[in-house]
Amino acid sequence: MTQAAFFSLVAGALSGIAIYGLITQRHLLRRILAVNVLGNSVFLLLVALARRDPDYVDPVPHAMVLTGIVIAVSATAFALVLARRYYSETGLTHLPEDEE
Amino acid sequence: MTEWAFDALLAGGLLGLAWQIVASRVLFRSVVLFIVFGLLMAVTWARLHAPDLALAEAAIGAGITGALLLSAYRAFLSRRGTDPGPPPVFPRWAAVGVAALVGALVGGIGWVVVGLEPPEQTAGREALAHLAISGVENPVTAVLLNFRSIDTLSEVVVLFVAFLAARVVAQDLAHAGPGDWLRASRNEPVLVQPLIAFIAPMTVLAAGYLLWSGEHQPGGAFQAGAVLAALGVLLRLTGRLRPTSEPSLAERLSLVGGVVLFSAIGLAGAGVASAVLAYPEGWEYELILLVETALTIAIALPLVLLFSGSGGLRREVR
Repeated sequence: MTQAAFFSLVAGALSGIAIYGLITQRHLLRRILAVNVLGNSVFLLLVALARRDPDYVDPVPHAMVLTGIVIAVSATAFALVLARRYYSETGLTHLPEDEE
Repeated sequence: MTEWAFDALLAGGLLGLAWQIVASRVLFRSVVLFIVFGLLMAVTWARLHAPDLALAEAAIGAGITGALLLSAYRAFLSRRGTDPGPPPVFPRWAAVGVAALVGALVGGIGWVVVGLEPPEQTAGREALAHLAISGVENPVTAVLLNFRSIDTLSEVVVLFVAFLAARVVAQDLAHAGPGDWLRASRNEPVLVQPLIAFIAPMTVLAAGYLLWSGEHQPGGAFQAGAVLAALGVLLRLTGRLRPTSEPSLAERLSLVGGVVLFSAIGLAGAGVASAVLAYPEGWEYELILLVETALTIAIALPLVLLFSGSGGLRREVR
């Protein structure tokens, strides 16, 4: 098994764990954490596939992931501000539609 | 053999940490382990021959995201104790099933693509073949600022929009960011001032070096901007920068400077070069360095202000 194949499988397992957390956890901060792990798993898949040809390392996925990292931190920062505002207005740490 | 053992340990660490992040009972533990996860991701990028990503992940993924998460965690503590919330409405077995499907899908895509015959013509090969005309020697910088510069331009716009949106929903200064601003006083621990006197110039130097060296080796505007943002977080936390609700004129100009300069040079490319976002021949290196300098500031400042939860920052003399 090549390194690219190995880390593709790791990316798959990471995305599974992240989706499990996203579904089962309702605390907003935990959901933001799970989305971040999910994003990292997709980044890992892209960068692992950049190495599938042993002759060279593809720079295009690297540039995409570099852009993705900055987008991820922007979205995370905005999500955290929203969650904090929601918490200070309602005192709740989860969304109302998650209640039975 | 040793390399495989290292990769296996790394993968085990990533998976174990990810599980702890989503399933740990203690929220604080999840947040701290996410920062460790970011550091392990940085090591993984280095193993996968992506040093540019390793630098960016260590500074942004682990550093700035970690600081944002910790400050949000503190805000969630303020009103009441740990709120366990209602029990999960979604059956656990169904969650496991969905997670297994998604994991199999993502891993399966990777497995199949790796098994295919690699194509002869890829965008990456094109980029490497035309590296000489890009004006820079680092292929990732060439893709980011020349061959696919539209992505980079849109990304700075996204960061700016995230900052604006955060300002719209932000709370008043006393409840935003990492909490109450503490004036740097004579009572602070004796080592804080000497530490900052040493770290601040070194960080600026490191950011400048990363920015300049991104032309021919790993580094560039993203990494430099993240390192500068880390300095801003440090100065904000130690009371050297005071949050203000409105940005000053200089801050406004810095916030939009990257987008405006990049767009102006890009539009000018339609006239003086072959296309929009193309550089005139012979000026690639100079223009890329100019754009990268503006981008460094346009990345660092919104990140610091997002952490600070304020519209602007003023220097505070002790």
